[in-house]
Amino acid sequence: MATIAFWILFVAGVAAFAVQTATRVRSIAAAPNTFSIDDLPFRINRFLADVVLQRRTIRERPAAGLMHAFVFWGFVVFAGYTTVEFLYGLGIADLTRTSWFEAYRRLLVPFASAVLVGILYLLIRRAIARPVGLGSHVSIESIVIALFIAALMTTFLLTFRLDEATMAGRVNWWTHMLVILAFMALIPASKHFHLVVSPITVFLKSPELGNLPNLDFEKEQVGLETVNDLGSKMRLDAFTCVECGRCQVNCPAWGAGKELNPKTIILQTQQALLAGQGAAKLGEVYSEKVLWQCTTCGACENQCPVGIEHLPILIGSRRGLVSNGDAPAYLGAMYNNLERRSNIWGLGYDQRTKFVQAAGLETFDPAKHDVLVWLGCAGSFDADFQKSLRSLFAILRAKEVRFGVLAKERCNGDPAKRTGNEYMYQELATGNIEDLKTAGVKKIVTSCPHCVKTIGADYAKFGYRVEIVHSSVFVEALLRNERAADGRAALSGSPAPNEVVTYHDPCYLGRYGGVVDEPRALLARFGAEVREPVRNRDNPYCCGAGGGLLFADKEEEPGSRISDVRFKQLQATGAGTVVTACPFCSIMLKGAQASAGAETQFVDLMTFVDGRLRKATA
Amino acid sequence: MIVVVAEQRGGKLNRATWETIAAAQQLSSAAAVPIAVLVPGAQATGVAGEIAAADVQEVVTLEHAALEPYTPDGFTAALQPAIAQLNAAYVLLPHTYQTRDFAPKLAARMDRAIVTDVTAIKKAGAEAAFVRPMFQGKLTADVVPQGPGPHFVTFQIGAYRVDQAKKGASAARVRAITVDADASAIREKPEAPFQQAKQAVDLSQAERIVSVGRGIKEQANIAVAEKLAQALGAEIAASRPICDAGWLPMERQVGSSGQTVAPKLYLALGISGAIQHLVGMKGSSTVVAINKDPDAPIFEIADYGIVGDLFEIVPAIIDAVKG
Repeated sequence: MATIAFWILFVAGVAAFAVQTATRVRSIAAAPNTFSIDDLPFRINRFLADVVLQRRTIRERPAAGLMHAFVFWGFVVFAGYTTVEFLYGLGIADLTRTSWFEAYRRLLVPFASAVLVGILYLLIRRAIARPVGLGSHVSIESIVIALFIAALMTTFLLTFRLDEATMAGRVNWWTHMLVILAFMALIPASKHFHLVVSPITVFLKSPELGNLPNLDFEKEQVGLETVNDLGSKMRLDAFTCVECGRCQVNCPAWGAGKELNPKTIILQTQQALLAGQGAAKLGEVYSEKVLWQCTTCGACENQCPVGIEHLPILIGSRRGLVSNGDAPAYLGAMYNNLERRSNIWGLGYDQRTKFVQAAGLETFDPAKHDVLVWLGCAGSFDADFQKSLRSLFAILRAKEVRFGVLAKERCNGDPAKRTGNEYMYQELATGNIEDLKTAGVKKIVTSCPHCVKTIGADYAKFGYRVEIVHSSVFVEALLRNERAADGRAALSGSPAPNEVVTYHDPCYLGRYGGVVDEPRALLARFGAEVREPVRNRDNPYCCGAGGGLLFADKEEEPGSRISDVRFKQLQATGAGTVVTACPFCSIMLKGAQASAGAETQFVDLMTFVDGRLRKATA
Repeated sequence: MIVVVAEQRGGKLNRATWETIAAAQQLSSAAAVPIAVLVPGAQATGVAGEIAAADVQEVVTLEHAALEPYTPDGFTAALQPAIAQLNAAYVLLPHTYQTRDFAPKLAARMDRAIVTDVTAIKKAGAEAAFVRPMFQGKLTADVVPQGPGPHFVTFQIGAYRVDQAKKGASAARVRAITVDADASAIREKPEAPFQQAKQAVDLSQAERIVSVGRGIKEQANIAVAEKLAQALGAEIAASRPICDAGWLPMERQVGSSGQTVAPKLYLALGISGAIQHLVGMKGSSTVVAINKDPDAPIFEIADYGIVGDLFEIVPAIIDAVKG
């Protein structure tokens, strides 16, 4: 009798789970396939770190993350126990009396205690502490699930106290099993679906941050226009979201009071998919205004613990808008500049030639030169940034590096790519690739992190591979190897900290490129004491320039400027000097400094290094 | 006959018409062909009287239901028979937005050559050649229109000056003509014209600009720059920090997030020259920069640079201008 009753409840629970899950699976199966499992070793490594070891969950929120890890590990080790109890309840097999099961049960006790501690901590955090990232109101469903988990652990621990044969024992067993079945019925429609899918999502997440495959114009691809266009990985992402809000609290646009909230983007995707609004325009699902507030800094995607990729959705939607002529006016002006003059400023290339001649640069020749220095739009035209490049040239010359530059450069295409103007990006990129190939370039050094990312990672999607490094990496290796080779002490002598600086990690260098140690090593080598700002290393706070926002009118109201927010964070370190390593960060932060009327000094990393080298040799 | 098509709206003449008359006079003297100015649209009479002062043979008004309100279909329908009546060898127009809208259609309808955005007229052999920019202005081409007349030519705004147009000894004859045109065939139904919320200050048209940067130090010192602007008959403008601080209104900001300007003279006071500012004023003919910092990027694009204290230099310039 009991077995039949259990069977009925079991089938009901499993059916409720299956029906709800099937809706989601069907949605994913109907989507254009964007799943990929390239670079397996990387994916396996990341799976171990982010799923098994819960790295990304713990890293940003150590206490809550560790508690979550307790719950997660507990769930994993309980799998066998749950299976055995179900086999028993369904009358299939009774393994509950075996000696190994008894031993396994005892082994579970510390895990159950850890889960209990973990879930109570998380329950209090959610219901009472209520951090902002979790949303403005307490989710009842989360409370219920937390109580369920607590009930599961309590009923498990009670099995050591209650005799199974007694009424109390039976009630305890039934409570445990019914909670599991209710749990199954509840999770697909809740954020706890991440229990089931997030390991898959993490595994399927692109190894490359902000992975945007080229559009194939031959196949008339124009980017994402409607909900129907959302790819399979994007849909999986939408159903995986655990609503933890890491994307939200790390988003510089949200932090500056703009409307963009990456978490909302994912939840809006989920709602639109479940409501079957396939024909709905993404510009309306998300709001066009919001889509243009993203700086493409990548913080959301990089901090997400469950493998969600926000950038393909945000930039994919921009592509759809641009294809329909719906770009903001300031981008129209920038696109004109790119189209007519191949650079973002719309300046004539005679100015680049003037600089190249004045700086005494040679045209790259593989027989004569080891590396190509890529100037970029800023290096070609921005007199302010050209000072930094002159410093780089001085360092390279002092260290007898043989380098040249291209006779002509186009913009690498980053501002077009990141704002969704794929056609223009591909025009620029293929032109540059042609020129780089013709010139026989094997290795590139540049001071622009956007050029590193685009030429290094995005050009690879055309099958073009070239080694490109940021000047900080190149110069740091140069100085380190030189010291190793001739056994000299540090060039600055024994460095007593003589200047307090702060270093602003560019998103495209620290986060996209993972280059965080080299700039600091250079600063430390010359005796600077680096005061770290909030948001540093591989999770910096954007300067506000990325994603075409360099050209936005006041970065689009409302809220404050992202650059002003970041400048205040840098100011708060108390350091009088801000070291930058990206021309666009420099432009934005200097603008913020001028508007604030502050006395803060700015120096580009290469200028800093060159100055110290000169001092050391003088 | 050389026919100049005047542009007017509601009795107000577009000044570019005078530039086109100047071009017509040059063409007329070279080809010895008389000039007629055609004034289409309602309230043409007043405008015609104004134009009659020019050294032209006659001024012809054309009023027709198809011309009001302006539509490309209506203009094409009414102007085609008018041009035929006037026996035109050339039809000259100012290269305005309105001309760009209907002139290609009109030329195509009549199956005649059109040369647009012309900056000068060259006499080449028996036929006149028209100079026009190509490839974003990197090259200029001398174009000789082929085939039967009339040939259509539109002139870039500013290529000829208004004061180049010669006035006649006495007023030219003014007459009205009528044409048959089917106003019902007009497909466009224009809404009433409206002006977009206009910026109070249009710096893009300013001939001289005095622009202020962080080097001005405090709001009270803006007065110094304003005095200089007054002395020079210049507009006052600023870089971003000045407008952010509210020392000057936002609409006076020059740069990529403000206005783009192209004055004959741009005087930069205490502006360091961040690239975002530079791209907003790179079209200036002459840039004069005053800055304490000799390494300021503004000196890279300045035609004249003064390294020094603007509070000493500006009063001296004011005195020099006034004196």
